Amino acid sequence: MQGSRVLAVDLTGDTVKARNGSMVAYDGQMSFKRMTGGGEGLRGLVTRRITGEKMTVMEVQGQGTCWFAERAAEINLVRLNGERLHVEANNLLCTEATLRTGTEFTGLRGASEGHGLFTTKVEGSGWAAITSDGPAVILRVAPGLPLRVDPGAYVAHTGDLKQNFRTDVTWRALVGETGGESFQIEFEGNGLVYVQPSERRTVAGEV
Amino acid sequence: MFTQINSKMVEAPVSPGQRLFSQRGAMLAYKGDVSFTPDLMGGQGGVGSMLGRRLANEDTPLMTVEGNGTVMFGHGGHHAHLIHLTGDTLYVEADRLLVFEGSLQQSTMFMGSQGGLRGIIRGQATGQGLFTTTLTGHGSAAVLAHGGVFEIPITPQRPVHVDPQAYVAHRGEVQSKVSTAIGWRDAIGRGSGEAFQLELTGNGTVFVQASEEKL
Repeated sequence: MQGSRVLAVDLTGDTVKARNGSMVAYDGQMSFKRMTGGGEGLRGLVTRRITGEKMTVMEVQGQGTCWFAERAAEINLVRLNGERLHVEANNLLCTEATLRTGTEFTGLRGASEGHGLFTTKVEGSGWAAITSDGPAVILRVAPGLPLRVDPGAYVAHTGDLKQNFRTDVTWRALVGETGGESFQIEFEGNGLVYVQPSERRTVAGEV
Repeated sequence: MFTQINSKMVEAPVSPGQRLFSQRGAMLAYKGDVSFTPDLMGGQGGVGSMLGRRLANEDTPLMTVEGNGTVMFGHGGHHAHLIHLTGDTLYVEADRLLVFEGSLQQSTMFMGSQGGLRGIIRGQATGQGLFTTTLTGHGSAAVLAHGGVFEIPITPQRPVHVDPQAYVAHRGEVQSKVSTAIGWRDAIGRGSGEAFQLELTGNGTVFVQASEEKL
Protein backbone atom coordinates (compact mmCIF):
# COMPACT_ATOMS: atom_id res chain seq x y z
CA MET A 1 0.00 0.00 0.00
CA GLN A 2 1.21 3.46 -0.83
CA GLY A 3 -0.92 6.16 0.70
CA SER A 4 -4.51 5.09 0.97
CA ARG A 5 -5.49 5.52 -2.64
CA VAL A 6 -2.82 3.57 -4.45
CA LEU A 7 -2.20 -0.14 -4.15
CA ALA A 8 1.29 -1.40 -4.97
CA VAL A 9 1.58 -5.07 -5.81
CA ASP A 10 4.95 -6.79 -6.07
CA LEU A 11 4.84 -9.61 -8.53
CA THR A 12 7.46 -12.29 -9.01
CA GLY A 13 6.01 -14.20 -11.87
CA ASP A 14 2.68 -14.71 -10.15
CA THR A 15 -0.74 -13.45 -11.15
CA VAL A 16 -3.34 -11.08 -9.76
CA LYS A 17 -6.80 -10.32 -11.02
CA ALA A 18 -7.67 -6.64 -11.19
CA ARG A 19 -10.44 -4.48 -12.51
CA ASN A 20 -10.05 -3.59 -16.16
CA GLY A 21 -8.09 -0.39 -16.67
CA SER A 22 -7.18 0.15 -13.03
CA MET A 23 -3.41 0.00 -13.57
CA VAL A 24 -1.79 3.42 -13.20
CA ALA A 25 1.87 2.48 -13.51
CA TYR A 26 4.27 -0.44 -13.46
CA ASP A 27 7.93 -1.24 -13.77
CA GLY A 28 9.56 -4.42 -14.92
CA GLN A 29 7.77 -6.77 -17.27
CA MET A 30 3.99 -7.07 -17.11
CA SER A 31 1.34 -8.48 -19.34
CA PHE A 32 -2.32 -7.60 -19.15
CA LYS A 33 -4.95 -9.96 -20.39
CA ARG A 34 -8.66 -9.46 -20.20
CA MET A 35 -10.51 -12.37 -18.71
CA THR A 36 -13.87 -12.96 -20.21
CA GLY A 37 -16.62 -13.39 -17.67
CA GLY A 38 -14.49 -12.46 -14.67
CA GLY A 39 -12.33 -15.52 -15.09
CA GLU A 40 -14.98 -17.87 -13.84
CA GLY A 41 -15.33 -20.02 -16.88
CA LEU A 42 -18.28 -20.30 -19.19
CA ARG A 43 -20.80 -20.82 -16.43
CA GLY A 44 -19.56 -17.75 -14.59
CA LEU A 45 -19.77 -15.75 -17.79
CA VAL A 46 -23.35 -16.69 -18.41
CA THR A 47 -24.33 -16.09 -14.79
CA ARG A 48 -22.75 -12.68 -14.79
CA ARG A 49 -24.44 -11.72 -18.01
CA ILE A 50 -27.82 -12.71 -16.65
CA THR A 51 -27.41 -11.20 -13.21
CA GLY A 52 -25.93 -7.91 -14.34
CA GLU A 53 -23.04 -8.23 -11.89
CA LYS A 54 -20.80 -7.43 -14.80
CA MET A 55 -17.19 -7.34 -13.88
CA THR A 56 -14.49 -6.80 -16.42
CA VAL A 57 -11.37 -8.26 -14.99
CA MET A 58 -7.87 -8.44 -16.34
CA GLU A 59 -5.17 -10.82 -15.41
CA VAL A 60 -1.85 -9.20 -14.59
CA GLN A 61 1.21 -11.35 -14.72
CA GLY A 62 4.88 -10.52 -14.59
CA GLN A 63 7.96 -9.44 -12.72
CA GLY A 64 8.10 -6.11 -10.93
CA THR A 65 5.80 -3.70 -9.16
CA CYS A 66 2.38 -2.75 -10.41
CA TRP A 67 0.36 0.17 -9.02
CA PHE A 68 -3.43 0.14 -9.06
CA ALA A 69 -5.86 2.96 -8.35
CA GLU A 70 -9.45 3.71 -9.19
CA ARG A 71 -10.84 7.23 -9.45
CA ALA A 72 -9.03 8.30 -6.29
CA ALA A 73 -11.16 5.99 -4.16
CA GLU A 74 -9.82 4.77 -0.84
CA ILE A 75 -8.49 1.23 -0.92
CA ASN A 76 -9.00 -1.29 1.88
CA LEU A 77 -7.07 -4.51 2.07
CA VAL A 78 -8.90 -7.59 3.28
CA ARG A 79 -7.08 -10.75 4.25
CA LEU A 80 -9.11 -13.89 3.74
CA ASN A 81 -8.28 -17.20 5.38
CA GLY A 82 -10.83 -19.48 3.90
CA GLU A 83 -13.80 -17.29 4.75
CA ARG A 84 -16.04 -15.53 2.31
CA LEU A 85 -16.15 -11.85 1.41
CA HIS A 86 -19.33 -10.39 0.00
CA VAL A 87 -18.74 -7.26 -2.02
CA GLU A 88 -20.30 -5.34 -4.87
CA ALA A 89 -18.54 -5.92 -8.18
CA ASN A 90 -18.11 -2.14 -8.42
CA ASN A 91 -16.13 -2.08 -5.21
CA LEU A 92 -13.79 -4.95 -5.95
CA LEU A 93 -10.45 -3.67 -7.23
CA CYS A 94 -7.97 -6.48 -7.10
CA THR A 95 -7.69 -10.06 -5.84
CA GLU A 96 -4.91 -12.57 -5.62
CA ALA A 97 -5.13 -15.42 -8.06
CA THR A 98 -5.67 -17.86 -5.20
CA LEU A 99 -9.10 -16.36 -4.53
CA ARG A 100 -12.20 -17.52 -6.33
CA THR A 101 -14.98 -15.14 -7.28
CA GLY A 102 -18.61 -15.82 -8.00
CA THR A 103 -22.06 -14.32 -7.94
CA GLU A 104 -24.86 -14.78 -5.43
CA PHE A 105 -28.44 -13.74 -4.98
CA THR A 106 -29.16 -11.06 -2.41
CA GLY A 107 -32.83 -10.46 -2.87
CA LEU A 108 -34.54 -7.26 -1.96
CA ARG A 109 -31.50 -5.79 -0.25
CA GLY A 110 -29.62 -5.49 -3.50
CA ALA A 111 -32.48 -3.72 -5.17
CA SER A 112 -32.66 -1.17 -2.40
CA GLU A 113 -28.94 -0.49 -2.58
CA GLY A 114 -29.38 0.43 -6.17
CA HIS A 115 -27.13 -2.23 -7.59
CA GLY A 116 -29.33 -5.08 -8.48
CA LEU A 117 -30.37 -8.35 -6.99
CA PHE A 118 -26.97 -9.95 -7.07
CA THR A 119 -23.61 -9.44 -5.44
CA THR A 120 -20.12 -10.85 -5.81
CA LYS A 121 -18.56 -13.28 -3.42
CA VAL A 122 -14.84 -13.89 -3.00
CA GLU A 123 -13.64 -17.10 -1.39
CA GLY A 124 -10.34 -18.70 -0.52
CA SER A 125 -7.11 -17.59 1.09
CA GLY A 126 -5.26 -14.46 0.11
CA TRP A 127 -5.55 -10.71 -0.16
CA ALA A 128 -8.36 -8.78 -1.77
CA ALA A 129 -8.52 -5.01 -2.26
CA ILE A 130 -11.85 -3.23 -2.13
CA THR A 131 -12.53 0.41 -2.87
CA SER A 132 -14.71 2.80 -0.93
CA ASP A 133 -15.70 6.42 -1.35
CA GLY A 134 -13.75 7.86 1.60
CA PRO A 135 -11.99 5.74 4.24
CA ALA A 136 -14.16 2.81 5.27
CA VAL A 137 -14.85 1.88 8.87
CA ILE A 138 -14.97 -1.76 9.86
CA LEU A 139 -17.80 -2.54 12.25
CA ARG A 140 -17.99 -5.77 14.20
CA VAL A 141 -21.22 -7.63 14.50
CA ALA A 142 -21.61 -10.07 17.38
CA PRO A 143 -24.54 -12.27 18.38
CA GLY A 144 -27.05 -10.15 20.25
CA LEU A 145 -25.59 -6.96 18.83
CA PRO A 146 -27.14 -6.52 15.41
CA LEU A 147 -25.93 -3.71 13.17
CA ARG A 148 -28.05 -1.60 10.87
CA VAL A 149 -26.44 0.02 7.87
CA ASP A 150 -27.65 2.51 5.32
CA PRO A 151 -27.84 0.59 2.04
CA GLY A 152 -25.99 3.38 0.24
CA ALA A 153 -23.06 3.29 2.64
CA TYR A 154 -22.63 -0.48 2.71
CA VAL A 155 -19.50 -1.69 0.94
CA ALA A 156 -18.78 -5.28 1.90
CA HIS A 157 -18.96 -7.82 4.68
CA THR A 158 -17.22 -10.98 5.84
CA GLY A 159 -18.12 -13.71 8.23
CA ASP A 160 -21.25 -15.58 9.10
CA LEU A 161 -23.87 -12.88 8.85
CA LYS A 162 -27.56 -12.98 8.19
CA GLN A 163 -29.00 -10.01 6.39
CA ASN A 164 -32.41 -8.59 6.89
CA PHE A 165 -34.01 -5.79 5.10
CA ARG A 166 -35.71 -3.32 7.40
CA THR A 167 -38.18 -0.67 6.48
CA ASP A 168 -39.37 2.14 8.59
CA VAL A 169 -42.01 3.47 6.28
CA THR A 170 -44.91 5.20 7.95
CA TRP A 171 -47.64 7.47 6.69
CA ARG A 172 -45.04 10.25 6.83
CA ALA A 173 -43.12 8.66 4.00
CA LEU A 174 -46.20 8.71 1.87
CA VAL A 175 -46.57 12.44 2.28
CA GLY A 176 -42.88 12.98 1.68
CA GLU A 177 -41.86 13.84 5.23
CA THR A 178 -39.14 11.42 6.23
CA GLY A 179 -35.72 11.47 7.78
CA GLY A 180 -34.37 9.94 4.60
CA GLU A 181 -33.52 6.76 6.46
CA SER A 182 -36.52 4.61 5.69
CA PHE A 183 -34.56 1.57 4.60
CA GLN A 184 -31.75 -0.20 6.38
CA ILE A 185 -29.95 -3.49 6.17
CA GLU A 186 -29.75 -5.35 9.44
CA PHE A 187 -26.84 -7.69 10.01
CA GLU A 188 -27.05 -10.43 12.62
CA GLY A 189 -24.51 -13.04 13.59
CA ASN A 190 -20.77 -12.88 13.73
CA GLY A 191 -18.63 -10.93 11.33
CA LEU A 192 -17.34 -7.63 10.02
CA VAL A 193 -19.11 -5.03 7.93
CA TYR A 194 -17.30 -2.36 5.86
CA VAL A 195 -19.11 0.97 5.76
CA GLN A 196 -18.05 4.01 3.73
CA PRO A 197 -18.56 7.64 4.85
CA SER A 198 -20.61 8.44 1.79
CA GLU A 199 -23.92 7.33 0.37
CA ARG A 200 -24.55 6.12 -3.12
CA ARG A 201 -27.69 7.34 -4.74
CA THR A 202 -30.12 4.58 -4.11
CA VAL A 203 -33.78 3.94 -4.50
CA ALA A 204 -33.99 3.76 -0.73
CA GLY A 205 -32.29 7.10 -0.29
CA GLU A 206 -34.99 8.80 -2.30
CA VAL A 207 -37.74 7.80 0.06
CA MET B 1 9.96 27.92 -0.57
CA PHE B 2 6.40 26.69 -0.59
CA THR B 3 4.86 24.84 2.33
CA GLN B 4 2.09 22.30 2.22
CA ILE B 5 -0.79 23.18 4.55
CA ASN B 6 -2.85 20.10 3.86
CA SER B 7 -3.18 17.75 0.93
CA LYS B 8 -5.10 20.31 -1.08
CA MET B 9 -3.62 23.68 -0.07
CA VAL B 10 -0.17 25.19 -0.38
CA GLU B 11 1.20 28.34 1.16
CA ALA B 12 3.71 30.47 -0.70
CA PRO B 13 5.66 33.49 0.52
CA VAL B 14 5.94 36.58 -1.66
CA SER B 15 8.48 39.32 -1.13
CA PRO B 16 9.55 42.29 -3.22
CA GLY B 17 11.59 41.07 -6.15
CA GLN B 18 10.32 37.56 -5.74
CA ARG B 19 7.09 37.11 -7.58
CA LEU B 20 4.96 34.07 -8.24
CA PHE B 21 2.96 32.89 -11.19
CA SER B 22 -0.25 31.04 -10.45
CA GLN B 23 -3.29 29.73 -12.22
CA ARG B 24 -5.81 32.53 -12.40
CA GLY B 25 -8.36 32.38 -9.62
CA ALA B 26 -6.45 29.84 -7.56
CA MET B 27 -5.81 32.19 -4.64
CA LEU B 28 -7.73 31.16 -1.53
CA ALA B 29 -6.49 33.64 1.06
CA TYR B 30 -3.55 35.92 1.69
CA LYS B 31 -1.81 37.80 4.46
CA GLY B 32 0.08 41.03 3.98
CA ASP B 33 0.13 43.39 1.06
CA VAL B 34 -0.18 41.34 -2.10
CA SER B 35 -1.43 42.28 -5.54
CA PHE B 36 -2.69 39.98 -8.28
CA THR B 37 -2.45 41.02 -11.90
CA PRO B 38 -3.78 38.94 -14.75
CA ASP B 39 -0.94 37.93 -16.96
CA LEU B 40 -1.89 38.55 -20.56
CA MET B 41 1.29 36.91 -21.72
CA GLY B 42 0.34 33.72 -19.92
CA GLY B 43 3.65 33.49 -18.15
CA GLN B 44 7.20 34.53 -18.71
CA GLY B 45 8.95 35.71 -21.81
CA GLY B 46 7.83 38.30 -24.27
CA VAL B 47 5.24 38.45 -26.98
CA GLY B 48 7.05 35.69 -28.79
CA SER B 49 6.54 33.25 -25.93
CA MET B 50 2.92 34.31 -25.69
CA LEU B 51 2.33 33.56 -29.34
CA GLY B 52 4.13 30.28 -28.90
CA ARG B 53 1.88 29.31 -26.05
CA ARG B 54 -1.25 30.39 -27.88
CA LEU B 55 -0.33 28.28 -30.85
CA ALA B 56 0.66 25.39 -28.67
CA ASN B 57 -2.58 25.57 -26.69
CA GLU B 58 -0.58 25.73 -23.49
CA ASP B 59 -1.87 29.18 -22.58
CA THR B 60 -3.73 28.50 -19.35
CA PRO B 61 -4.62 31.90 -17.86
CA LEU B 62 -2.00 32.84 -15.33
CA MET B 63 -1.67 35.72 -12.92
CA THR B 64 1.34 37.38 -11.42
CA VAL B 65 1.44 37.62 -7.66
CA GLU B 66 3.59 40.41 -6.24
CA GLY B 67 4.00 42.18 -2.93
CA ASN B 68 4.93 41.22 0.57
CA GLY B 69 3.17 38.47 2.48
CA THR B 70 2.01 34.89 2.19
CA VAL B 71 -0.62 33.51 -0.16
CA MET B 72 -2.57 30.27 0.03
CA PHE B 73 -3.43 28.45 -3.15
CA GLY B 74 -5.79 25.63 -4.02
CA HIS B 75 -8.05 24.77 -6.90
CA GLY B 76 -11.22 22.78 -7.40
CA GLY B 77 -10.65 20.53 -4.41
CA HIS B 78 -7.89 18.77 -6.29
CA HIS B 79 -4.83 17.50 -4.55
CA ALA B 80 -1.82 19.78 -4.72
CA HIS B 81 1.65 18.32 -4.81
CA LEU B 82 4.83 20.29 -4.11
CA ILE B 83 7.91 19.81 -6.22
CA HIS B 84 11.22 21.50 -5.38
CA LEU B 85 13.49 21.92 -8.36
CA THR B 86 17.22 22.17 -7.94
CA GLY B 87 18.46 23.01 -11.38
CA ASP B 88 16.63 20.25 -13.19
CA THR B 89 13.61 20.44 -15.47
CA LEU B 90 10.00 19.63 -14.74
CA TYR B 91 7.68 18.64 -17.58
CA VAL B 92 4.03 19.27 -16.84
CA GLU B 93 0.80 20.14 -18.62
CA ALA B 94 -0.03 23.82 -18.29
CA ASP B 95 -3.49 23.23 -16.86
CA ARG B 96 -2.03 21.12 -14.07
CA LEU B 97 0.28 23.88 -12.87
CA LEU B 98 -1.15 25.52 -9.77
CA VAL B 99 1.61 27.95 -8.82
CA PHE B 100 5.35 28.31 -9.40
CA GLU B 101 8.08 30.68 -8.33
CA GLY B 102 9.30 33.42 -10.62
CA SER B 103 12.83 32.09 -10.30
CA LEU B 104 11.86 29.17 -12.50
CA GLN B 105 12.24 29.53 -16.23
CA GLN B 106 9.03 28.64 -18.00
CA SER B 107 8.89 27.57 -21.62
CA THR B 108 6.88 25.49 -24.02
CA MET B 109 8.26 22.37 -25.54
CA PHE B 110 7.22 20.58 -28.68
CA MET B 111 6.77 16.94 -27.79
CA GLY B 112 7.40 15.93 -31.36
CA SER B 113 11.02 16.85 -30.82
CA GLN B 114 11.24 14.06 -28.31
CA GLY B 115 10.86 10.96 -30.31
CA GLY B 116 9.72 12.37 -33.64
CA LEU B 117 6.60 10.79 -35.01
CA ARG B 118 6.20 8.64 -31.92
CA GLY B 119 6.18 11.80 -29.85
CA ILE B 120 3.31 13.16 -31.91
CA ILE B 121 1.40 9.93 -31.50
CA ARG B 122 2.15 10.11 -27.80
CA GLY B 123 0.54 13.52 -27.54
CA GLN B 124 -2.53 12.39 -29.43
CA ALA B 125 -2.94 9.10 -27.62
CA THR B 126 -2.63 10.65 -24.19
CA GLY B 127 -4.83 13.59 -25.00
CA GLN B 128 -2.11 15.96 -23.90
CA GLY B 129 -1.55 17.53 -27.24
CA LEU B 130 1.74 18.09 -28.94
CA PHE B 131 3.14 20.57 -26.50
CA THR B 132 4.01 20.59 -22.87
CA THR B 133 5.25 23.18 -20.42
CA THR B 134 8.70 22.98 -18.89
CA LEU B 135 10.01 24.65 -15.77
CA THR B 136 13.76 24.89 -15.25
CA GLY B 137 15.89 26.31 -12.47
CA HIS B 138 15.84 26.54 -8.72
CA GLY B 139 12.54 26.96 -6.91
CA SER B 140 9.24 25.38 -6.03
CA ALA B 141 6.19 24.51 -8.05
CA ALA B 142 2.85 23.00 -7.11
CA VAL B 143 0.95 20.72 -9.48
CA LEU B 144 -2.68 19.62 -9.33
CA ALA B 145 -3.89 16.05 -9.47
CA HIS B 146 -7.10 14.14 -8.92
CA GLY B 147 -6.45 11.95 -5.92
CA GLY B 148 -3.07 11.81 -4.25
CA VAL B 149 0.21 11.90 -6.12
CA PHE B 150 2.96 9.37 -5.69
CA GLU B 151 6.45 9.38 -7.10
CA ILE B 152 8.18 6.55 -8.88
CA PRO B 153 11.92 6.81 -9.44
CA ILE B 154 13.19 6.04 -12.92
CA THR B 155 16.66 4.61 -13.40
CA PRO B 156 18.26 3.33 -16.61
CA GLN B 157 17.83 -0.22 -15.34
CA ARG B 158 14.27 0.37 -14.28
CA PRO B 159 12.02 1.89 -16.94
CA VAL B 160 8.53 2.70 -15.71
CA HIS B 161 5.27 2.34 -17.59
CA VAL B 162 2.46 4.71 -16.70
CA ASP B 163 -1.18 4.85 -17.70
CA PRO B 164 -1.44 8.04 -19.81
CA GLN B 165 -4.52 9.17 -17.91
CA ALA B 166 -2.80 8.82 -14.56
CA TYR B 167 0.39 10.58 -15.64
CA VAL B 168 0.85 14.00 -14.00
CA ALA B 169 4.39 15.22 -14.60
CA HIS B 170 7.99 14.09 -14.74
CA ARG B 171 11.42 15.54 -14.03
CA GLY B 172 14.97 14.80 -14.94
CA GLU B 173 16.60 13.31 -18.00
CA VAL B 174 13.70 11.19 -19.09
CA GLN B 175 12.67 9.99 -22.51
CA SER B 176 9.00 9.25 -22.91
CA LYS B 177 7.34 7.32 -25.64
CA VAL B 178 4.08 5.55 -26.15
CA SER B 179 4.30 1.84 -25.95
CA THR B 180 1.43 -0.13 -27.27
CA ALA B 181 0.40 -3.57 -26.31
CA ILE B 182 -2.44 -3.94 -28.76
CA GLY B 183 -3.25 -7.50 -29.57
CA TRP B 184 -6.05 -9.26 -31.33
CA ARG B 185 -8.03 -8.99 -28.09
CA ASP B 186 -8.21 -5.21 -28.38
CA ALA B 187 -9.19 -5.46 -32.02
CA ILE B 188 -12.32 -7.37 -31.11
CA GLY B 189 -13.09 -5.15 -28.13
CA ARG B 190 -11.87 -7.52 -25.48
CA GLY B 191 -8.89 -5.47 -24.36
CA SER B 192 -7.65 -5.21 -20.82
CA GLY B 193 -8.01 -1.42 -20.96
CA GLU B 194 -4.25 -1.02 -20.80
CA ALA B 195 -3.42 -0.91 -24.47
CA PHE B 196 -1.56 2.40 -24.39
CA GLN B 197 1.17 3.10 -21.90
CA LEU B 198 3.73 5.81 -21.51
CA GLU B 199 7.14 4.26 -21.28
CA LEU B 200 9.58 6.45 -19.37
CA THR B 201 13.29 5.67 -19.51
CA GLY B 202 16.34 7.48 -18.26
CA ASN B 203 17.10 9.13 -14.97
CA GLY B 204 14.47 10.99 -13.01
CA THR B 205 11.13 10.79 -11.30
CA VAL B 206 7.60 10.43 -12.58
CA PHE B 207 4.57 11.77 -10.70
CA VAL B 208 1.46 9.62 -10.95
CA GLN B 209 -2.01 10.34 -9.61
CA ALA B 210 -4.26 7.79 -7.94
CA SER B 211 -6.99 8.16 -10.50
CA GLU B 212 -7.53 7.89 -14.21
CA GLU B 213 -9.51 11.09 -14.40
CA LYS B 214 -8.37 14.25 -16.09
CA LEU B 215 -8.69 17.53 -14.27
